[in-house]
Amino acid sequence: MTESLLTVTDLVKRFGGVSALDGCSLKVARGNITGLIGPNGSGKTTLFNLICGLDTPDAGQIVFRGERLDRRPPHAIARLGVGRTFQLIQVFPELTALDNMMAAARDGSWGQSRARALELLAFVNLTQLRGERAGNLSFGQQKLLEFARMLMSDPGLLLLDEPAAGVNRVLLERLLDHIQALREQGKTIVIVEHDMNVVMNLCDWVCVMDQGRLLLEGPPEVVREDPRVIEAYFGR
Amino acid sequence: MAQASSDAVPRLERRDARAFMAAGGAFATLFLLALPTFGTAYTQNVLIQMFTFVALASSWNIISGFTGYMSFGHVAFFGLGAYTYALLVTRAAVAWPLAVLAGGVLATALAAAIGLTCLRLRGHYFAIATLGLGEALRIAVLGWDDVTGGGNGILLTPVKELVSSYYGMALVAALAIGLSWAVARSRFGLSLLAIREGEIAAGMLGINTTACKLWAFMLSAVVPGMAGALHGRFIGFIEPASIFAVLITVQMAVFALFGGRGTVSGPILGTCLLFLFQEQVWARFPYLHLFIFGLVLVLIVLLMPKGLLGLLEDRGWIAKGVVR
Amino acid sequence: MLSWEYVAQVVVSGLLAGGVYALLAMGLTLIFGVMRVINVAHGEFVIIGAYVTYWAFALAGLSPLVSLVLSIPILFVFGMVLQRVVIKRVIGAPQLSSLLVAFGVSIMIVNVALYVWTGEYRSIPYLEGSLRVGGLAFSRARVVGVVMALLIAAAFFAFLKWGRLGKAIRATAQSREVAAACGINVGRVYTVTFGLGAALAGAAGTLVSFMFSFYPEAGLVYTFKSFAVVILGGMGSYVGALAGGLILGLAEGLSQLFLSSKVGDGVAYVLLVLILLLRPQGLFGGPGE
Repeated sequence: MTESLLTVTDLVKRFGGVSALDGCSLKVARGNITGLIGPNGSGKTTLFNLICGLDTPDAGQIVFRGERLDRRPPHAIARLGVGRTFQLIQVFPELTALDNMMAAARDGSWGQSRARALELLAFVNLTQLRGERAGNLSFGQQKLLEFARMLMSDPGLLLLDEPAAGVNRVLLERLLDHIQALREQGKTIVIVEHDMNVVMNLCDWVCVMDQGRLLLEGPPEVVREDPRVIEAYFGR
Repeated sequence: MAQASSDAVPRLERRDARAFMAAGGAFATLFLLALPTFGTAYTQNVLIQMFTFVALASSWNIISGFTGYMSFGHVAFFGLGAYTYALLVTRAAVAWPLAVLAGGVLATALAAAIGLTCLRLRGHYFAIATLGLGEALRIAVLGWDDVTGGGNGILLTPVKELVSSYYGMALVAALAIGLSWAVARSRFGLSLLAIREGEIAAGMLGINTTACKLWAFMLSAVVPGMAGALHGRFIGFIEPASIFAVLITVQMAVFALFGGRGTVSGPILGTCLLFLFQEQVWARFPYLHLFIFGLVLVLIVLLMPKGLLGLLEDRGWIAKGVVR
Repeated sequence: MLSWEYVAQVVVSGLLAGGVYALLAMGLTLIFGVMRVINVAHGEFVIIGAYVTYWAFALAGLSPLVSLVLSIPILFVFGMVLQRVVIKRVIGAPQLSSLLVAFGVSIMIVNVALYVWTGEYRSIPYLEGSLRVGGLAFSRARVVGVVMALLIAAAFFAFLKWGRLGKAIRATAQSREVAAACGINVGRVYTVTFGLGAALAGAAGTLVSFMFSFYPEAGLVYTFKSFAVVILGGMGSYVGALAGGLILGLAEGLSQLFLSSKVGDGVAYVLLVLILLLRPQGLFGGPGE
């Protein structure tokens, strides 16, 4: 049985009177691609934000590789080996693509970081645009850049927030190939997605959230058939 | 949509531009160093003031231009440096170079205090908090009059020669430029730019944004503190209204933004161009001059947000990254 | 040592000043809530209102309360013009752009005022003397000022709640996209909003003209105080603006009493830093914006 890389226990988060997370518990197995789905308002993005340290839970804990993540600042969590991409692309527009990558470099000499940055840019086929202002790149190119930038510090856990959003078929194929390649390298990936095809084809495991907690989980084929999922999305 | 811009040949090739700038810089430096031997007192006076603003604009640029956290009360550090100097020299008979250094130290301490409270928040909260800083300090100095002399200010022994002020301020300006340059070339500087361009993403890449912002703020306060001290010594008299004037913050901000925020040479260029222009206008119309500053600020934000250097870079006149 | 009557007087006096601060801050909160613009020129609108009132009084003998009829529309139009010419170009841009632009505008206004009206301290000798209530004396000017402030604020609330344009403004504040989808002309809403914010500040300025003395550079002080109030109460909350205003007024009064009269405007600063330290979203503010 693959061990759990990330364990979330009884997480609670309230905004005003609304409970975005209401006792959410789940485990993410090492080396898997786990899909996180659920209707809007089920708490997926809130969960991501809490794992990354962008917000603090009102109750519950988050454990990653034996370390508690809740109540730590984002940069500390990143340094423990967690990487994230965002729903709305967050490249650094005024900096060149290469500088975007270099900004993410943590250790090693300038030369080593530069070599790694170029390597990753090649991985996503952006080498020839390395001197271009990130803000001038096309949407798809920015998405790839953000993806590559996340990999600079070689994180063990990747949190991808709607990677398929607004992406054309060709680019999507490339992205999915990259994600699979990363899984081969032993990385653990959690994806929040609305595109069911992506989820079903890519993920090893799917967690369904509803109303701030885990509704059910299982392999994609099983989850797809479960009537509770349909009800969660369309029922009410 | 995006084409690799290496196709377009900028008018100034990177290698040539670097050589040109190095030569120009060397010549200018030698000229300025030698000036007291042949320049008039008036010229030296103007240059001393220009050095002061180069120092201020370059320092302001570190927190505002690189990091994107606009400091609207930066004059507080300038004034604090001046008062520290004045008090140490008149009450404690401290040697003036030490008192200048002390001005820098105290300014840095103030930056640390304000930074620790206000930098944990987002950019606009910080800007608002600094908006009142200069005024708060002015009021504090006015109120604490048994120590500071209140509205009467502090009179200092006049300095009979210009040379020490000239080279002193030139050194302070060089220090500011050096700091700016060191920041721009370092990993730290890249982190600051990342914070400006996307603070949340920067945090998620492992950048300790709060610590970086704090260091940037402190670094941006050191030189203004020393410049304030030297300025006080040069003028021979300091009082709250003029040493904490909002105008000073406006000037350093406009100079830096006009030249190009987040670059090393931007503040220098902006100061040189606008300060000289200001000299022509000031003598005649005191209020018009300030009014023009406000207008220039508005125009910069609307028409050339990246400053003159940014404009030239975008138009392809100079290659990207030459002056960063 | 200090008679309780004296303390009570200071407390109430501070609260009365606070009422005007609250009015001041409401315009700021309105502009921020709807347009996400940080109007650093807000204090200058106040000063313009004060000068309009002053000159109406000096030249035509118009009572300040009557000249509200002048200051409010003048500032309203001025605000709208400013919005169309300058502000609307920075609405989408990073927030600090709007800050800088407003800062530039405020400098321009202050210096025009300095040039035409000089830096002399002005005040209108109107409603001088005090009102005696139960053995306590309150400045008549302040009492009338605060009553007017509350009336204006109430009118403003009524407009927001029931007026058609008021509802459009509230809708746009919630979500500009949804409002646009509902057929609301967002550009026009922005223009009116900025004008309204300026008008509220101008009204406050009229009240200030006979409650305190003023001069062109005081704009910065009023801007800063409005920010202190808005941050104290929470950005985007009108109730917060009221609460914040009262607290600031009270704090100023008390520190005059217990600390020193020279502390003056520094109180706003200390309060601001304290609130940023302890509870940055303010008393009634929502979770980060």
